[in-house]
Amino acid sequence: MTLALLRRGLRISLGVAGLLVASTLSAAAQDPDPLGKLEQNNRVTIELLLDSAKVAGLPSQPLLSKALEGIAKKAPGRNIVDAVRKTLGYLRTARTVLGTVDDQELVAAAAVIEAGAKPNHLEQFRPRKKGRTDIEAFIVWADFLQRGVPSEEASTAIARLWQDGADDETFRSLWSNVQADISQGLNPGTALQNRIREAPGRASPVTVKPPEGQQENQSSR
Amino acid sequence: MTEPELHPYVEWIAREAQRPVITDSAARDRIMAAVRAEPAPRRLGIWSRVVRPRSFTLSPLAGTLVAAGLVGMGVFVGTRTNDRDGQSTVGQPPVAVAPRLPVSDTVVRFVYVAPQAGKVYLVGDFNGWDTNKTPLVRSSTDGVWTVTLPLTAGRHLYGFVVDGSWSTDPRAPLAPDDGFGHANSVKFVRRGTSL
Repeated sequence: MTLALLRRGLRISLGVAGLLVASTLSAAAQDPDPLGKLEQNNRVTIELLLDSAKVAGLPSQPLLSKALEGIAKKAPGRNIVDAVRKTLGYLRTARTVLGTVDDQELVAAAAVIEAGAKPNHLEQFRPRKKGRTDIEAFIVWADFLQRGVPSEEASTAIARLWQDGADDETFRSLWSNVQADISQGLNPGTALQNRIREAPGRASPVTVKPPEGQQENQSSR
Repeated sequence: MTEPELHPYVEWIAREAQRPVITDSAARDRIMAAVRAEPAPRRLGIWSRVVRPRSFTLSPLAGTLVAAGLVGMGVFVGTRTNDRDGQSTVGQPPVAVAPRLPVSDTVVRFVYVAPQAGKVYLVGDFNGWDTNKTPLVRSSTDGVWTVTLPLTAGRHLYGFVVDGSWSTDPRAPLAPDDGFGHANSVKFVRRGTSL
């Protein structure tokens, strides 16, 4: 009888072991490899970049996201690697300028540098105020640069608003107005100059000469 | 053929073996009484059964299966408690290898106007840039496409795929050039807000 019990127990154990093996293999098969569509060498390079970010104390999620974005947009593998590498560089620069900040703020600041701002323009955002985030300011700043507002003008305007204590709504409103003006055909730099005068707070108008060869009613895009 | 002469010692053994055994008629009763006088074997408890040594006989195939099961369990547990650097992730926030739709109390509504479009998808860092995961629904006959989904607080990059073509959100700021030939939009989600 004891022998029969032992045999039954053994059968159950073997069954459980088999199920575990099967479930493990199944789980491994179902766990999608996010970088699986990349060629091996590109994939390894990106994984090294992810590790570099971790070692440097930088968020690796933006790098992975950039790689996934490239895959989704069917970009060549080499372009994806380049884009991920550049993103890591922007994050490093932002960290160097701003010091220890929240990951989200760091990513937003990196995007500003990526859009064309000079790192030293970011230094004005280094003093932190508790409970205040500069993410919205950085987003609007990067958008202005992306839409063709000259870097110096955009940087000065955003920095002044920030130093004057503008809140997120002020930045959003400024963006909305400038974007509307640009859509109407106004020169991006001029659109910003016009709208910054209307912004609440003590922000002074930006006095930067419009670039030569540009008309006020001419769209930059 | 004559029968071979047996050794006297062998003959003695044979005689003894053939000699009828005369037993005392009371012997059986004495033996049974002695057996009954012995204490009954104690019933083993669960712990005693568990810790009592046992011997198992396994075929090579069965042994291989058991070993594979144990290794599989180890791999399964290991991959969920250690990151790629071998660092323990127990007690740490999970690092998403594949970005997943976040669980959040912040609900965001995305709108895209495309009267002529047949299919519109929302694609961004919040869904792993999956071009088929988050379809927008045409909510009216005037070509307004919408989708509402929970997002974590923070800055999110996204775009729309309209009938296979990438497009930005005209209602949102632009992100820097993505390096892949398509611009992205940005949405900053504050915690607890509903947009």
